[in-house]
Amino acid sequence: MMNSMIEINNVSFRYKGSDEGLLQDFSLSVKKGEVILLCGASGSGKTTVIRLINGLIPHYYPGELEGDIHVAGHDIKETELYELAGVVGTVFQNPRSQFFSVDTDGEIVFGPENIGLAPDEIIRRKQEVVEEMNIETLLGKSLFELSGGEKQKIACASVSALLPDIILLDEPSANLDQTATADLRKTIIKWKKQGKTIIISEHRLWYLRDIANRVICMENGKIKNEWKGKAFSGLRAESIRNLRLRPLTVDNPFFERTNELTVPDIPDEDAIILENFFFTYRHIPYLFFRKKLTQADSDILSLNIPRLKLPKGCVIGIVGRNGTGKSTFLRCICGLEKTCPGVIISDGKAYKGKSRTDYCYMVMQDVNHQLFTDSVMSEVLLSMKEKDEQACEDILEKLGLFPFKDKHPMALSGGQKQRVAIASAVAAGAKLLLFDEPTSGLDLSHMEKVGQLLTDLSKTGSTVLVSTHDPELIEQCCDYILCIDKGQVGYYRVKEFCMCR
Amino acid sequence: MNIRLDPRTKLYMILVVSAVVMMSATTPLLWSVRIIITLVPIVLLIAEKRYASTFRFFALYITALVLTFCFLSEESTGIIQSLLTGYCGIIAQFLPAMITAWYVIRTTKIDEFVSAMQKMHIPDGITISLAVVMRFFPTIKEEYCSIRDAMKMRGITLGGGSIVKMIEYRMIPLLFSCVSIGDELSAAAITKGLGGKVKRTSVAVLKLSAADIMLLSGFTAAAAVFVIFKYFI
Repeated sequence: MMNSMIEINNVSFRYKGSDEGLLQDFSLSVKKGEVILLCGASGSGKTTVIRLINGLIPHYYPGELEGDIHVAGHDIKETELYELAGVVGTVFQNPRSQFFSVDTDGEIVFGPENIGLAPDEIIRRKQEVVEEMNIETLLGKSLFELSGGEKQKIACASVSALLPDIILLDEPSANLDQTATADLRKTIIKWKKQGKTIIISEHRLWYLRDIANRVICMENGKIKNEWKGKAFSGLRAESIRNLRLRPLTVDNPFFERTNELTVPDIPDEDAIILENFFFTYRHIPYLFFRKKLTQADSDILSLNIPRLKLPKGCVIGIVGRNGTGKSTFLRCICGLEKTCPGVIISDGKAYKGKSRTDYCYMVMQDVNHQLFTDSVMSEVLLSMKEKDEQACEDILEKLGLFPFKDKHPMALSGGQKQRVAIASAVAAGAKLLLFDEPTSGLDLSHMEKVGQLLTDLSKTGSTVLVSTHDPELIEQCCDYILCIDKGQVGYYRVKEFCMCR
Repeated sequence: MNIRLDPRTKLYMILVVSAVVMMSATTPLLWSVRIIITLVPIVLLIAEKRYASTFRFFALYITALVLTFCFLSEESTGIIQSLLTGYCGIIAQFLPAMITAWYVIRTTKIDEFVSAMQKMHIPDGITISLAVVMRFFPTIKEEYCSIRDAMKMRGITLGGGSIVKMIEYRMIPLLFSCVSIGDELSAAAITKGLGGKVKRTSVAVLKLSAADIMLLSGFTAAAAVFVIFKYFI
């Protein structure tokens, strides 16, 4: 028995207040030192399994639980959560909500302090973890200044400092770029070498290739398939696709840096022209009038795009590492950054300053922030200058939201909320639609739906700019690829097999 | 120059500054005690290199004082005077306390704060709730900024002319996201052993430095002088 770290026997679970059972007669046995990858569509019960093992079910998320769970000799049902702190460590999906401290040092020592270790021991452990994960440069910083990848490193370090035998990761790469994801892979390999038992729930599979000993694919709260690690790595791309999983390999030409600047040739009349998009995060002191930023300020510019043509009616994918200015670029285009002097020229009309906001609409990464009213219908009407119920219903119909028109937007699923935000953008008459990482943390089916939606929007005449870290999405729907590197255009080119209309 | 104060000194500072500043000063002596006490957070802010905020606060405070002494008396009447009295009252009585609290929140790390509270034998329930509140300020700010951006984009910053709507559009998404962040945050904290029966330790070494002792005795003296001269003499 000592060999087995986790025993889940015939467990069924239903969240309180929910009719659907999330797990049905689920059994899993994990040996010490094994690395298990849980995959499967959203809502298939992956997170529930993670919560069973770290005890959040049934102690924090109550519900009907049958069957029994033993983790490292503890009966989960009878064990208080704080007793599990040094046994099971969890890295969560959302970096902004898993930190208790506001500074990096405090977060790493938070766990050991909670379990009452002696201060000397805590400091020793902290130094060990910091060295092991190469995060010296992150110490002494505010967590709110870190990038997503850096936050996730601190989250891993803070779990590591408790020296748990079992480490759980719940979609840890959802908000990370390619480089940060590759770093995460290194961390997991380190843990594996230390003999830790690791369970990862994830949609993005490429970075876990050849790490997992076993891969479990879940569907509707049950195990659908199970493979040995090697056998899974050997699966062909089509079979992975048929399982509705995201690809195992990304040999992506999209993220590579190329030095040639092959700007696509687009005639002026078919293009939206962006001019003078400069922006800096540096605070420049001024007395009465702010000096307009120009190209001459290039030393301090965080965004430096003097001129760019966007082809109308196309989907343009924006790629680039975290923190190189993708989001800044989008914020400047739609006029959220007041100090950006950028002008949008389309059909001979120039949109400056605030009027940029009327011409564009950005669907934010967290759509919860942009839904304000108590029904889907009124949400869309809010965007219309002249309230027209008929037009509103047409838009809802087109986006498949008509059946939900009287529902509260917050009661909808993530994908539906996103569509409500898009519906309001369409209703506002925005010609240029901006999407800030719309597919982070989505499974294959949902990602394909988003891709289809972007294509549909571009077919109806809107121009779509989408920033993303997902090569699959670019493959599916983008006509052009624009790479932003250190605030400048890294490259800009037509995607091969361009289907642009 | 870098002054690192003990969180206990900082808490005491909030208490004394707000108490002294709130009690009305009637004699020149009381006024001078009050002004000296207000200067302490200003000096601390300068030490933290927060020049802009210090300057703004200083300018507002001086204006309020000058107005109070030169243009207002107990016999003042009229709309302008009453507005000015309101302005001066708020600036001179609330702002020092607010700026002190702002300084404390800016410069205190959460684990320092928690261990200071433990040293003062405050129950864990209170300590942890206060720590969560401190943790939450920056989060609320972040969330609020993204909501404001979303409103700008929709062109509903003014709520279509209705103040109720203006507040509703801001508060509802803010509450939704704070509730969900709070929920995830506590789940994460619990899996790291927060709230256990084990006595929490801390790596933050708390020792009262010379500066702490100076400030503590200074504040006590100031508070004593203020109370004695106001109520007993």
